[in-house]
Amino acid sequence: MTHSGKAEHGVPAARTGVSTDGTEVFAADREIGRGLAAVDWSSTPLGPPADWPQSLRTAVSILLSSRFPMWMAWGPELTFFCNAAYRRDTLGRKYPWALGRPASEVWAEIWGDIGPRIDRVLATGEATWDEALLLFLERSGYTEESYHTFSYSPLRDDDDTVVGMLCVVSEDTERVIGERRMATLRDLGSDPSVIRTEQEVLEFAGRQLARNGRDLPFTLTYLFREDGSSRLAGSTGLPGGHPLAVPVLRAEDTDALWPAAELSRGATALVDLEDGRFPDLPGGDWPQAPRQALVVPLLQQGNAPYGFLVAGLNRYRALDDGYRGFVELTAGHLASGVGSARSYETQQQRAEELAELDRAKTTFFSNISHEFRTPLTLIMGPLAELRGRLADDPWARSELDIIHRNGLRLSKLVNTLLDFSRIEAGRMQARYEPVDLAAVTAELASVFRSAMDKAGLAFHVDCRPLGRPVHLDRDMWEKVILNLLSNALKFTFDGSVSVTVREEDGRAVVTVEDTGVGVPAAEVPRLFERFHRIENARSRSNEGSGIGLALVQELVTLHGGTITARSAEGRGTSFTIHLPFGTAHLPADAVAPAQAATVPAGVSSADPYLQEALRWLPQGTADRPADAPQEQILPDGVTAGRPADVGLPARVLIADDNADMREYLGRLLAGAGYHVDAVTDGQEALEAVRRNAPDLLVSDVMMPRMDGLQLVAALRGDSRTASLPVLLLSARAGQEASIEGLQAGADDYLVKPFAAAELLARVEANVKLARLRTHHARWRNALVDSLQEAFFVCDDKGAVIEINAAFTDILGYGPQGLPYAPVHPWWPDERTDPEAHRAVSEAFDQLLGDPSGSYTIPVTHRDGHRVWVTASFAHAQDPDSGRQVTVGTFRDVTAEHYAIQRESALASLSTRLSRATSLPEALSGALEELQTLWRARCVLAAVFDGGAEPSLTATDGSDWRDLPAEQRTAITEVRQHPALTSVPQPTGAGITVEHPTGPMVVWIDLGEHRPFTEEDQLLLTLLAGHLAQGLTRAHQIDQQRETAIALQRAILGPSSLPEGFAVRYEPATQPLEVGGDWYDTISLPDGRIGIVVGDCVGRGLQAATVMGQLRSACRALLLQDASPAQTLMALDYFAATVPGALCTTVFCGVLDPESGRLTYSSAGHPPGILAHADGTTHLLEDGRSLPLAVRPGRERPEAEYVMPARGTLLLYTDGLVERRRRPLTAGIDQASEAVQDGRDTAVDDLATRIMTRLAPAGGYDDDVALLLYRHPAPLDMSFPAESAQLAPVRKALRSWLAQCQLPPHTVQNVLVAAGEACANAIEHGHRDAPGETVRLRAEAFVQDLRVTVTDSGRWKAPQPELNAHRGRGLTLMRSLMQQVTVTPGAAGTTVHLHTRIA
Amino acid sequence: MTTPLTLVPGRRPDGTHHLAVSGEIDMSNIGALADALSTTAGPVVLDLTDVEYLDSAGLSVLFAHADRLELIATPLLAPVLKVSGLSDLATVHGLD
Repeated sequence: MTHSGKAEHGVPAARTGVSTDGTEVFAADREIGRGLAAVDWSSTPLGPPADWPQSLRTAVSILLSSRFPMWMAWGPELTFFCNAAYRRDTLGRKYPWALGRPASEVWAEIWGDIGPRIDRVLATGEATWDEALLLFLERSGYTEESYHTFSYSPLRDDDDTVVGMLCVVSEDTERVIGERRMATLRDLGSDPSVIRTEQEVLEFAGRQLARNGRDLPFTLTYLFREDGSSRLAGSTGLPGGHPLAVPVLRAEDTDALWPAAELSRGATALVDLEDGRFPDLPGGDWPQAPRQALVVPLLQQGNAPYGFLVAGLNRYRALDDGYRGFVELTAGHLASGVGSARSYETQQQRAEELAELDRAKTTFFSNISHEFRTPLTLIMGPLAELRGRLADDPWARSELDIIHRNGLRLSKLVNTLLDFSRIEAGRMQARYEPVDLAAVTAELASVFRSAMDKAGLAFHVDCRPLGRPVHLDRDMWEKVILNLLSNALKFTFDGSVSVTVREEDGRAVVTVEDTGVGVPAAEVPRLFERFHRIENARSRSNEGSGIGLALVQELVTLHGGTITARSAEGRGTSFTIHLPFGTAHLPADAVAPAQAATVPAGVSSADPYLQEALRWLPQGTADRPADAPQEQILPDGVTAGRPADVGLPARVLIADDNADMREYLGRLLAGAGYHVDAVTDGQEALEAVRRNAPDLLVSDVMMPRMDGLQLVAALRGDSRTASLPVLLLSARAGQEASIEGLQAGADDYLVKPFAAAELLARVEANVKLARLRTHHARWRNALVDSLQEAFFVCDDKGAVIEINAAFTDILGYGPQGLPYAPVHPWWPDERTDPEAHRAVSEAFDQLLGDPSGSYTIPVTHRDGHRVWVTASFAHAQDPDSGRQVTVGTFRDVTAEHYAIQRESALASLSTRLSRATSLPEALSGALEELQTLWRARCVLAAVFDGGAEPSLTATDGSDWRDLPAEQRTAITEVRQHPALTSVPQPTGAGITVEHPTGPMVVWIDLGEHRPFTEEDQLLLTLLAGHLAQGLTRAHQIDQQRETAIALQRAILGPSSLPEGFAVRYEPATQPLEVGGDWYDTISLPDGRIGIVVGDCVGRGLQAATVMGQLRSACRALLLQDASPAQTLMALDYFAATVPGALCTTVFCGVLDPESGRLTYSSAGHPPGILAHADGTTHLLEDGRSLPLAVRPGRERPEAEYVMPARGTLLLYTDGLVERRRRPLTAGIDQASEAVQDGRDTAVDDLATRIMTRLAPAGGYDDDVALLLYRHPAPLDMSFPAESAQLAPVRKALRSWLAQCQLPPHTVQNVLVAAGEACANAIEHGHRDAPGETVRLRAEAFVQDLRVTVTDSGRWKAPQPELNAHRGRGLTLMRSLMQQVTVTPGAAGTTVHLHTRIA
Repeated sequence: MTTPLTLVPGRRPDGTHHLAVSGEIDMSNIGALADALSTTAGPVVLDLTDVEYLDSAGLSVLFAHADRLELIATPLLAPVLKVSGLSDLATVHGLD
């Protein structure tokens, strides 16, 4: 489209198309770019994008191409821009309205917070950094609590002036609020005491809730009572007696504030508080009160809620899932606390009851054990009948078999006990009859053959007839042999058992020998002790009363025999019985004649032994898969039910070495709906638990390999199983046994025999209690898992033993890999990244060594990418194991880390660029910065400036030709990519940047196989943008500065002054080097010197331009006509044509340096000051007229003054002497004094002194020009080191001395002394190199005269005997002058002569 | 080039040698003065009335002949002649 009308008015035709209207600057982001392009920029102070400066365009490009949330403000109104990420995270509904608007309007609601920060950035150019700053935004339709971590950094225009700011922001709202809520939940769970009353629980919780006045401005906790009413049990955030805090809500009150009835059914309610009923509602930590309250029930599993929690809601946050979940978790915690407290009270009651029961049982058993026999007989008898009758019913038969076997076992035990008591009471009714010992023994042994076979043991029975009978009581002998064999079977796992009968030394010898586990030597003597059991002996069963062998010994003794034992641990045990023949050793009344063995001996009485032994052996070994050692017991014929109030069927593991007991318990529990597994000893139980922990372990105490107590200890010692509930079963009655069990850490203890109902009740109670108890653990786990921060627990060696879901999210390492031993797999590789590895290693030492702390470290995600985390940790005591653990959390700060890295990288690059005084320095400095930042092997920049090959700047100093061909190709290729687009390379990246002399490729070579990550790419793009801007700026500044300085110096004044002059110039306007004042000295053709000091009206650049013209004109005029008055009159005409030149004041003089004659004219200029050698002062007040151009054409007067010798002339502009509220004359007097005081100072030093002395306190506020001349000017001459030069030098010196108007004798003394010095210089200094230069300088002060002779040789020490006259020369100098100093030096010798002017 | 120096030899009425010197005496021209003095024997009256400059180089020549010299000088040369000690060795007129 073309607006021809505008074109007619000289405005260029409107640019057409995207490429020319400037909106291509928005191309980096299509979406936001469209929004930005739609803005009517011409109505903003920035004007149309086509006119935007390069710096703004660069800033917008960087902004739009960034994936990090950013916004920026530019120009006088701080016009607002943002990128897509910012729009998404923060801007909300304000998009696209905000684009192009003043930032103060966009963020009006937080301008009070951010405005001052932005002002500071704009004023100081320094970046700000705020972490998690609370800001109340209006972006979602309500005032919203939000947190932001952001940095404002200055944006500069092409002139390096700060014109805006860039904000890189990450919104932390979710994190901050999440952490705050998590802290409350953590605090709620942090109560160290476990055993508390309900009231204590609620008080503790109340204190924690009160600490979070932001999420919970107020809370009320109600508990239901049995009558359906609700009682206020706790409140936070409300003053006592507040109308909201109704103490009791009656059940029938339907208008009650809180809908208690609904809540008692488990419903949740949202109650509106804004109906004016509660005008004084407190707001917690907020200025305004909640609008709503969320009321949630305190839920109880399987039962009606305990009560409900009323939570006043933070009006600055929406009630989202997170907020609702927080309130519900809080309520859940309160509920579990109330539940724990109530359940604890119940448990305590129950424990007292159980203790009472145990006491009764113990008494009972001790009193009536001997009464067992009768009932046992009555059980076993009918049982045998029943077994016969129900032989066809396998189910009944199986049950009856158990009863039968255990009846036998019990009978055996009771019998044994009774045997003992009989023996002890001497009432054993023995009947010794002569028997064939070998046959009887062999027969008894044969009973065990099948059991031995089943156990896989070789069974050798070697019972050869003895030839004569042995008197035995058959019953007793049976017990002897069966006990010994049973014992052998029990303790022998492989090898053999042998029974032998022999006659030795006139006695019958019976040996029972096994290859079993044996007993330690120390235990052998105690084998026959009653109730003594060998601890830790491996056996097939731990059943046994410990009285078998004791009984054997008693019985053998009754037979007049002896029994001995030999045993070796691991090799076996052998029992040897010696029995005497005959009857002499037996009580005569007990000896009976031989009886015919009508009943096969041993069969009936052996049954209990055999049955028992068989039960020790594995059942159906062949059918059990090798990898499933545990028996799974399914409810047999019972419909699987569920224990009440338990969600999933609870899993119970049974550990018992008694197969009957395993089966019995299994059936019982499976029938009650539990999922049951069973194992045969503690070791297996431990393994099974570790594989898959059940809800409850029911374990016998006495078990082979690992008993119940050891099992409990092992479980408690392992943090993974420490909390597993354990119910111990034992036959050992009595308080001590149960205390032992509970001390070992069992949760409950049940003494055999027990009723099925009691077992089920205990199991159920324990499962429920465990679930309640582990509610804490589960709740803790849920809490830990819901943390947004990664959570970990380390053991004392630093191995990570617990982690949460966030840990896995951040690092990629999951719980299945636990424990993670150090060095942890996420440590950076030591080889490829030693620095990061060291950082982590140091942090790890800190973790182990310090009680608490935090650190930020780089770690490697499982997939290989770099993650930065900030970890906090603290040491703690593991309450279960007592070991020291370290608990820590960490947060993924990768984005922050890189944001900070970007900030600091940008800052250091900017600093480096701004410090550079030239374009090449800026570039090489920037490359060094990049090299340092990336620890790169090399960073180089190739500028394609049109030459034959690119000009290369490299950190390693290499040249374009030094680069390998493929690198040159790759660099050239990068140039084809659009500017500011990072192009990844195998070991780094390249990017094209605009350099003032052509496109430039910046190339970063990391060197190693370190990845150049996306973060790096982004950073490189940002830095490259800055670099381009910086280079442009450096280039422009370079040019401007050079131009300006050259121009200023050209107009200021002469670059070199004639001898005797000193000048000072102080412009009022920094950093200009010129102002409206000037001074000038002009060497005129006739040897005289023109002197001009002038002062244009005003100051600064404008005045300087006027000054420059006047100075040049004045100089030209003086050269043409060396008359000050004529010159000024001509200048009047000239000045009249120069705007701003009117009223310029000028002092114009012409000085004859020989005679000191000064002709001058003043155009309204302050008078020159002449300080005489005698201390008087003369003001050059004649020859005065109007300032320039006031009356062009009017004659100007001229005056003349002859400067006396050693007089000092001061010319100046009024800036030196004019002060407010002080007459000009006062300033002139002050200046006069200053000159007088410095009569004896070299003019250059004097100039400095005057400037310092007259400077006002705050420095000169007007331009000052100052010119000093002392007459005569110092003599300064150089001549070749030849004796012929002495006469002309002398002549010149004599003439100069005449100008100084010194007494004749002084002149002669100076002449001779200087002549001697010159002669020395010629003769000695240049003996070997004649013709070199000697310099003589003479300067007169008011009272002093100084001569310096310098040569470039070395003087030799005077040797009068060789050169008598030279020695005289030095003597002469010393006697003629006040002071003579000869300073020899490497570069030459200097002679200072000094004399007073009398 | 040497510093201009004029030497006018002559005899006094009593026959003693007389040498009138005018100009400046420095190291560049002491050879001429030395030569002039060497050509004479016996006492010499050296007239330095018109000498405007005399340095240690010139003094060295005068010291060589000090015992037969009678100097006529001006106050201008007095410091040099006194300081060097020549006035103690030779008869000097006209210093006051």
